[in-house]
Amino acid sequence: MSAVSRTLNRRTFLAASAATAAVATTGTVVSAPPASAAPAAPTLPDIDVRDAARADASEATLAEAAVLMKRGKLTAVELVQAHLERIERYDGTYQAYAEVTGDAALAAARKADRGGGPRGVLRGIPLCVKDNYFTAGVPTRCNSNIFADFVPDEDATAVARLRAAGGIVLGKGQMGPLATTRATTPNGTVTTVNAWTPDDPSVDPGGSSTGPACAVAGRLAVSSIGTQTGGSIVLPSNQQNLTGLKPTMGRVSIHGVIPLSYTRDHAGPLARDAMDAALMLSVLAGPDAHDPRTLGLPAVPDLVRAATPLVGRGGAVRMRRATRIGVPADFLTGAAQGLREAFLDRLDGISGVTLVDVAYPDDWALLTGAFNAARLSERTEPFRHWLRADPAAFGVSLLSWLQGLMISGDEWITAQRAKTHLLREVLDGVMGRCDVLLQTGPVPFDILGLPEIAFPIGFSDAGVPAGVILGGQPYEEDRLLEVAAAYQAVTDWHTRRPADPSAGARLKSAAARPRLSAEEAAAGSA
Amino acid sequence: MGPLSREQLDAYIRARLALAGFDLEKLPEEADPATGVPTRAQALASLRSFVASTPAALASWAPPASSAASAQQGAVPLLYPSIDEARGGRR
Repeated sequence: MSAVSRTLNRRTFLAASAATAAVATTGTVVSAPPASAAPAAPTLPDIDVRDAARADASEATLAEAAVLMKRGKLTAVELVQAHLERIERYDGTYQAYAEVTGDAALAAARKADRGGGPRGVLRGIPLCVKDNYFTAGVPTRCNSNIFADFVPDEDATAVARLRAAGGIVLGKGQMGPLATTRATTPNGTVTTVNAWTPDDPSVDPGGSSTGPACAVAGRLAVSSIGTQTGGSIVLPSNQQNLTGLKPTMGRVSIHGVIPLSYTRDHAGPLARDAMDAALMLSVLAGPDAHDPRTLGLPAVPDLVRAATPLVGRGGAVRMRRATRIGVPADFLTGAAQGLREAFLDRLDGISGVTLVDVAYPDDWALLTGAFNAARLSERTEPFRHWLRADPAAFGVSLLSWLQGLMISGDEWITAQRAKTHLLREVLDGVMGRCDVLLQTGPVPFDILGLPEIAFPIGFSDAGVPAGVILGGQPYEEDRLLEVAAAYQAVTDWHTRRPADPSAGARLKSAAARPRLSAEEAAAGSA
Repeated sequence: MGPLSREQLDAYIRARLALAGFDLEKLPEEADPATGVPTRAQALASLRSFVASTPAALASWAPPASSAASAQQGAVPLLYPSIDEARGGRR
């Protein structure tokens, strides 16, 4: 055993022992890391609040709402109430929530306004939590019959950290069944719509964190958390004009998240802009004794600083660090080509940005295509009990769980070997001449556990948002935020909000809810 | 070796499901809109397509190397490459 692994194992043992001791002493599960390992609590940035946010609390970004509350211009109750009213009015159309915990949210808001409760940077901020995160005393169904009656007795670590920073959970967000597709009922009937096209459920809202995306886009929550195994944070963020950040594997604990593929499940925020994503990730990130993957990793950088754009005396925005942005050959293809060209032009105009053409290795399609299937065995193993006892409980999602049984152990190990090879190809080859890399799909960096940020770059002719995905080096979420923040300082796409659903939207969308077939669910599965 | 026949694929799939304790008979013969669960025929068709394409694609890959013996030494299998890169890799 190497010195590194001995040290790591000892650290893991001590952290786990401390947690066990805390349980024994207090009867409470403590997921806080040792103080020495805890990242510094984020501080609220000094930002200008837009007039739109002053006029309508539901319009505010997380940072704006926090600043308004700090200045005494907004109360937690007013903020929570504003979002609950929108849920009451519009969620029949959006169907963003699987469960709303309005009474508890209002009680927490009242307590915050009285000066009680946690005093962190999220104090009084109403949030949506994807329904695969354990929430103590609140149903956690994962949109699946398998968990229809599941009520956890603890919060997932991520949820506990949001609450410990003062965040208020408004409810649980709809999702693809077991975190696989866009949000549907277990039998495949579409639930959550794209907040930008509420009267047309056929428009892709992105999956599987569909509800958390729709809740933020439709102003039914200030921010949200989702999970990503195969694009499930960045894709709905792109589809609904949000800034979504999938951190590096291990940056955020997934203890208390219903598993899909254990080598690829990531927890992260879906937010309104880079600063909000930075604030959320700052709260979420850091070691957790319950999740060994989080231990012994590089310190969480100052994400709030990274998301604060640098503006010169003349008003020109410049990069915090000179940054080489890789542009793969297939980036400028497809329906969004025009938008992407305009995006690159705007990006190239920011001082400190250098665009670099990059090429993929010859085996890229194989290692990021066929080898993507290796994840299926990882979903099958923890669900064996239900596969044997009640396969109908999987509903429309069953096929990919059965496919996972068809990969042999040696083939799965070969896939892990291929991941190592692919990592070297990415870090030493594709990214050898750049600091961050534009993506044409989320899967390669999901396979590798590398970080990705999604942010908006405009709208299609049909009025549906378009975005890009930017990938980074391990644990360099700050670099991703620097690029997104600089771009957002010279554009206003991220400030656009969809119109409220019309009176007829609910009737229209209710009459035309499409259904996914079992084959479609398998083909489109995260 | 040529491609497996439909009968061979079905035999493999049924045996593998049985070894895993999965009872194909628990799936409906006719479509069940209430649950959305696939029928037995749908499941078999999906698995035939998967087995005919995916396992061989995975099994046929090895790290680029001058010999099979060299390939054994290449690209150590890692569950979490990003984590390993940070903990003890090249960064």
